[in-house]
Amino acid sequence: MPDAGSDNLITIDLEGRIDSNNASAVEEKLLSQVEGKSNASVRIKADKLEYISSAGLRVLLHLKKTNPNLSITGVNPEVYEVFEMTGFTQMMNVEKAYRVVSVEGCEEIGRGANGTIYRIDQDNVVKVYNNADALEEIQHEREVARLALVLGIPTAISYDVVRVGDSYGSVFELLNARSFSKILATEPDKMDWCVKEYVDMLKLIHGTIVPEGELPDMRQIAIGWAEYLRDYLPAESAKKLVALMCAVPKDNHMLHGDYHTKNLEIQGDEVLLIDMDTLAVGHPVFELASMFNAFIGFSELDHEIVKKFQGFDFETSTVFWRKTLQAYLGTDDEEFIREVEDKARIVGYTRLIRRLIRRRGLENEEGRARIGFWTDELLKLLDQYDSLVFTCCAVDMEATKDNLPRAMAFIDEHLESVDCPMKEKMQIDVAVEEIFINIANYAYDPGKGKVTIRVEAQEGEAEITFIDSGIPYDPLAREDPDVTLPAEERQIGGLGIFMVKNTMDDMSYENKDGKNILTLTKKWETA
Amino acid sequence: MLNITKTFDNDALQIALEGRLDTTTAPDLESALNESINDAKELTLDFGKLEYISSAGLRVLLSAQKIMNQQGSMKVINVRDEINDIFEVTGFSDILTIES
Repeated sequence: MPDAGSDNLITIDLEGRIDSNNASAVEEKLLSQVEGKSNASVRIKADKLEYISSAGLRVLLHLKKTNPNLSITGVNPEVYEVFEMTGFTQMMNVEKAYRVVSVEGCEEIGRGANGTIYRIDQDNVVKVYNNADALEEIQHEREVARLALVLGIPTAISYDVVRVGDSYGSVFELLNARSFSKILATEPDKMDWCVKEYVDMLKLIHGTIVPEGELPDMRQIAIGWAEYLRDYLPAESAKKLVALMCAVPKDNHMLHGDYHTKNLEIQGDEVLLIDMDTLAVGHPVFELASMFNAFIGFSELDHEIVKKFQGFDFETSTVFWRKTLQAYLGTDDEEFIREVEDKARIVGYTRLIRRLIRRRGLENEEGRARIGFWTDELLKLLDQYDSLVFTCCAVDMEATKDNLPRAMAFIDEHLESVDCPMKEKMQIDVAVEEIFINIANYAYDPGKGKVTIRVEAQEGEAEITFIDSGIPYDPLAREDPDVTLPAEERQIGGLGIFMVKNTMDDMSYENKDGKNILTLTKKWETA
Repeated sequence: MLNITKTFDNDALQIALEGRLDTTTAPDLESALNESINDAKELTLDFGKLEYISSAGLRVLLSAQKIMNQQGSMKVINVRDEINDIFEVTGFSDILTIES
């Protein structure tokens, strides 16, 4: 290891302009300072360097020959560009000068686990990291934000790293943006609008497939939380908790990881996601768990906490969470919603308990009370459930033929969960295929629109709804084909819809708010 | 998924299907038929392992039936109840010769 002592590190200041006029003088000066110390590391402080020409660059090359361990710090953006263009940044360690920004008197617009966001002027905000040595964190957050943007998630990407006092900050352009927390706190009549936009973004995130290995696997992380609780829960419960986490299937869809309303901003009429450093992949139950914690879990025993963090009261938080679950799951079936919420609570409480124990919560009265409460809830839930997974009642997808297997798999999963008999299952499958293909072929220009499929399945009955925004079309209005004609005279057109009409118990169509809404109902006898 | 197995015995063509005959797989059966149907006087479709059929599949059956009406005969064998119901609803049971 090189010794950092004064003999082995030579620091040299470079100032002003270095070009062909003074290059040889500068070279002479530099070489005289390193003379006889060819093992020494050299750090050139370029804070006051305004310009360097190719003659100046050659001086640095000569210096690198005598002292290979050469670094240049505090390089201003113009000079850095020269280093970058000429490939010097690859030959030696060149560090940019960080702009210095002050947040004194600036409005605080957000506060997260690892930093605080201030508005520094009308167009820009800076996220100041808690960790003084945050360069790696900043780099990570920039990389995942870029990945998300490329995959189609609207997010703000930091364009500059700055010094704020002794900390680092990253600067984002965010024009007149308002967080959803602020809207919910100040404009209660916008609740339903917020729920819709919030859920649309959530579905977009969860519908995004992430290439293998790009983001951490949330399941692995959650298994870690469960393992941690082995020392604090009854052995059987701890074992079951770990097994439940392990049994969640691997999933390569994106999760935000900290999806609360402070991390969603409206800018003009665009909704933007921020605070991307927690991005991961996994089953949605892990996302719902962290959402439950943000809106309910953290504040269950002290309702002021959510007020302090989000700016709205616990009642608003509860209503928002319930409405979000309803919209996300595509149902108002209370029993099903309760089940999904309970599964999210299992993961959520696991995380909360571990977090507070690690923060020495067991060492004080208040901490023990909270850990005790969460533990009781967790143990009750563990007695009730044998799985953490669930399937939404509604799914959105591009209306293309290629998505037919996805649509069928979605329907079949629901039918199998209510033990639909073979014959009825096949009739429903046929009906779904006919309707789906009709929408894929005729509702839009190919590949230009979405279809929402919703299922409400229970013992003895399934109701399936298709919603598209394509050209208005009522399949029921179509004249039935004559199915008594001999083969030579038979027309094949319309046969699909005819089959649907004749195998389903009910089929209804309406055009509402510019949408085609087609509902199929099928009943069967139960044992 | 649809597996198609063709057997020729002089001018008798037998095609056994396994899996699902739907929008995705119907074109496969159509091209398998187009390759061989001209040489066939008797066409037998074995549905013993066919689990599913939608209108895209019926379309292929109808055009095969039309061709075979001109040049010979066609029958469908080993049809499952669920698929037979589809034939009933669509009137295909009157067009096709079905042997269970």
